[in-house]
Amino acid sequence: MNWLKVLAFIPLGLLVAPVIALLYLGFGPMISSAGYSPLVLRSVVLTLFASAITVLAEILLFTPLSYYLARSRNSLAETLADVPASIPHPIVGIALVVIDSPLTPVGRFLISIGVNFFNTILGLVAALTIVSAPIFIKSMQPYFESMDRAPEEFALGLGASRLRTFLSVVLPNSFRGLVGASLIALSRAMSEFGSIAIVAYVILSAPFGLAGASPASVTIFNFYDAGDLNAAVTASAVLVAVSLPLMVALRIVKGRT
Amino acid sequence: MINAKIDLVLGTFRLKAEIHDSGAICVSGANGSGKTTLLRAIAGEIKPDSGDVRVNSRNVTNLPPERREIVLVTPDSMIPHLQVEKHLVWGASTKGKRVEEVELAEVKATLGISYGGRVDRLSLGMRERVSLATALLSVPKVILVDEAFANIDHREDFVRSFFGLCHARSIDVVHSTQVESDAALSDHHYSITGGETARIS
Repeated sequence: MNWLKVLAFIPLGLLVAPVIALLYLGFGPMISSAGYSPLVLRSVVLTLFASAITVLAEILLFTPLSYYLARSRNSLAETLADVPASIPHPIVGIALVVIDSPLTPVGRFLISIGVNFFNTILGLVAALTIVSAPIFIKSMQPYFESMDRAPEEFALGLGASRLRTFLSVVLPNSFRGLVGASLIALSRAMSEFGSIAIVAYVILSAPFGLAGASPASVTIFNFYDAGDLNAAVTASAVLVAVSLPLMVALRIVKGRT
Repeated sequence: MINAKIDLVLGTFRLKAEIHDSGAICVSGANGSGKTTLLRAIAGEIKPDSGDVRVNSRNVTNLPPERREIVLVTPDSMIPHLQVEKHLVWGASTKGKRVEEVELAEVKATLGISYGGRVDRLSLGMRERVSLATALLSVPKVILVDEAFANIDHREDFVRSFFGLCHARSIDVVHSTQVESDAALSDHHYSITGGETARIS
């Protein structure tokens, strides 16, 4: 009897149980048409769309930082990069709302140049980027740390600057790590609630007919808050039914690279 | 001309080395004698506790590896995803130097590089030829070879040709080897034992 396997798989079952329960109840006994209405579907699309943009933004913004942290022993920078993960998520939402409000000089400036976080795609993506950056970095940094240094050292010896080495030698060989970190960041962004419930509760103007939609987690919370448990469960099942196969598919892609 | 005086302690290993010469310099020693540590210290990968490194009278002791004009070539040195042609001129192009067709052809012929393909898919010996040629074409002041001749067939001919090409470009070469007879191919010979160098010729 492989007791290690038993010890491993029972807790795994506990993790998976709520999701299975949701899928069963949501599409079965508790099914509610409100739970798969166009409102819900638009929420799911909004969440997918915003999360995808978030991941792209993170690759651009935080890959250099991850590499820098991997090569230098700057514990202050490392700690700072982890800050959004150590504070309650609503705080990120509140910070974005306040920063961009007419209450502060920074906010007045931002508003004057057309930057508006409140109830916009920009605010939604900003919040998602901030809250999932730490986990992107936590995934990318160890990948860079475990990379064979010989190519980098050779490039530096040939006279390439650190930036040139990063762009021309490290990045082209980092595809696998980037896909892995993107996967994790994507799941994190899709599951966010606290920060976006504050700064982007509903998106007022958006492409693809998404105007007036809320992120999926907010929509589900709304159903629950209003007392419509069936709708909440069905909507949850819909979100799971969409995001899980997506995650599996991306994992397969990652495995093939 | 290299003037290197390196004093450093790595764990229980003490390196106390001096090299003052130019041309092709051979450092021979057994496994664990400190050859790699010495070369890495000269390249700037390891910081010595005391001493300094001068290249043609230029003090590079406090400079990072990318500013020393010293290239360290090991059997693992390569830029993995590049094709051979692009790889050969990569070092030179990062410094803004153009490699003339004639020179490239000469170096390829002399060093026996008649193949292409992704560098990380080449055999060890083929890769080492490419990395050494890449280092040569970037025209540094010094090339350090850490046993990177190890997997090349017709070694003596290759090493002689390589030293000839370096000499023509005023590049000093310090190469480490476990094989004493390699010293015959070089201008100068140091032996290293337990972290201490001794100049033999």
